[in-house]
Amino acid sequence: MFYKSEDNTPVSIDEFHRLHRLLAREYRLLDEERFEEWLGMLHPDIHYWMPGMENRRRENALEHGFFDSQHMALFDDGMRDLKRRVARFLQPSAWAENPATRNVHIVAGVEVFHSEISGEYAVYSTFQSIRARGLDEEYVFSGRRYDTWSDDDGQLKLKKRLILMPNATLNCKNINTFI
Amino acid sequence: MTINIETVDVTNALNDIDQFCDIPNARISGEIFYRSDIYEQELEKVFARCWLFVAHESQFKKAGDYIATTMGEDDVIVVRQKDGSHRAFINACPHRGNKVCFSESGNARGFICNYHGWSFDIAGNLIGQHESGVYEDSNFDASQWGLREVPLIDSYKGLIFANFDAQAPSLKEYLGPMTWYFDALFDNQEGGTEFVGGCIRSTMDCNWKIAAENFVGDILHAGWTHDSAARAMLGGAVSKVSDFDESYSVNWNGHGYEFALDTVGNVAVLGESALNKYLHTIKPSVAERLGDFRSNMIGSVSSATIFPNFSFLPGQNTIRVWQPRGPNKIELYTWVLVNKSAPEDIKEKWRKGAMMTFSPTGVFEMDDGENWEYCTKTARGKVTSKQHLYVGLGPDTLLKDTDLPANVYAGQLNEANSRAFYQYWSDLLKAPNWKAVPDRNVGRTEAGESAAQCVNKEMG
Repeated sequence: MFYKSEDNTPVSIDEFHRLHRLLAREYRLLDEERFEEWLGMLHPDIHYWMPGMENRRRENALEHGFFDSQHMALFDDGMRDLKRRVARFLQPSAWAENPATRNVHIVAGVEVFHSEISGEYAVYSTFQSIRARGLDEEYVFSGRRYDTWSDDDGQLKLKKRLILMPNATLNCKNINTFI
Repeated sequence: MTINIETVDVTNALNDIDQFCDIPNARISGEIFYRSDIYEQELEKVFARCWLFVAHESQFKKAGDYIATTMGEDDVIVVRQKDGSHRAFINACPHRGNKVCFSESGNARGFICNYHGWSFDIAGNLIGQHESGVYEDSNFDASQWGLREVPLIDSYKGLIFANFDAQAPSLKEYLGPMTWYFDALFDNQEGGTEFVGGCIRSTMDCNWKIAAENFVGDILHAGWTHDSAARAMLGGAVSKVSDFDESYSVNWNGHGYEFALDTVGNVAVLGESALNKYLHTIKPSVAERLGDFRSNMIGSVSSATIFPNFSFLPGQNTIRVWQPRGPNKIELYTWVLVNKSAPEDIKEKWRKGAMMTFSPTGVFEMDDGENWEYCTKTARGKVTSKQHLYVGLGPDTLLKDTDLPANVYAGQLNEANSRAFYQYWSDLLKAPNWKAVPDRNVGRTEAGESAAQCVNKEMG
């Protein structure tokens, strides 16, 4: 599983359905602020990565064209980091989260393949995140995700996620959600 | 050949500056965050006159390396020259004004305008055009039509600043004795500092001064605003600033630095014990280099702004520019700073730690953004915008007999730096030129003999 990788073997309809349901459930949990259950869908070894987009000329490409694993990122997290972010959301003193940010996450364009490693799936999708706050604030951004879902104790869990937002400047003040 | 830029005509000062910025009475009004006529004056009298941060020397390795950024709302390119110097040019073609550089960074032999093919070398000279014959037929003098150069560029400890006003004081004079404090972050180890690769950009619907003033001297907000983030990162509340025995607010020419002497209070919130350990490990060598006093500042509870819009947090090592985009919008450009000599795993932990805390996804910055946007938005109310806002904390805290340089105030829970920031801002808005800007500095221009080791705590 990675950016611009060759397609691997497509999965059966049943397997596709299973993965698609996981993606839908994940976004429902996030929209319902069920963060601890969401953490439960993550593999203990998760790498959750949303690199910063850099507006570079083609002849000055970075490691992966517009982004680079050694450069600044919006998320570059392991499980400990994601738990810390969730802990902040759950604090009564997270003043900016009361009243709450109201979220809708949309997933589309789902593709599921067997990865090179047995029992792992490469799952590609596009997303849109819509957040509303206060009376009139609305923030929308979209992008593409490259996931690896892997078996952990008999359950499929998210082990890797690369999130690519096309914007080189985030057009709002923060990303106070998960993608 | 250098092409001089046209200077910006200085329009008359607004006639109600003392009403919306009355520092002797420790009051400002919300309209300074919202009025477009004030903003227009700022672009001319602050951003077209002051030294503005444009790049870090570590972002350039060889000739032709460039960074595109903005000075105020003006697009500029900073380019490394063959002799290793840096020059800054307005990023607009002198023919029809199109941008000549569309990427944020890279290496180029020159810049070619997409519109009519005007081509410039890295020194800004116009060296060719599409259909060049037609220019020859028009007696075109290419030597007059190179890229417009920003007249002043200089650096301090890796930080490159540029200035549109050829009459401005030197960078050294502008920064004054504040550099003594800046060295605690920018020169605490042999080899100096570097930026981690990349730049994270985001926007906030707030006035640029709210953000700049927050870093110039507002630690007061941290214990309250950031309680949730501190508990998430540390498992407890942030250090109670009023518990520190000794802390300071220092300022000069509107720049400000507030700090405690607790060494690791800021770095601790990154939640990476290896970074605390790193700072403790280098501390003895910092003491040797800069003295005991500043060795306590390397990652302490502290923040700073270089007037007008360059800010940093020692310890978290986030570096940022609040780019003005209208009276009630900014773009944040943020970078991560590390010591060049630091081990790679330490640099990596800083890259991630700064992201986790002070970035658009950072658990601390999320709460700042909310506050700053609504400090700005409430001023949309005409009546509200005229009401006074209080900036009076720490009225009698100036330290008169201290060997510490700059204007030194006791305590970091203090609005002395905020007052100095707004005072300098209003002085600039009133002044038709640099000579007319009053010198309000009262402190030492250089550190006294005992500054490096001990501190006189007597209040004036």
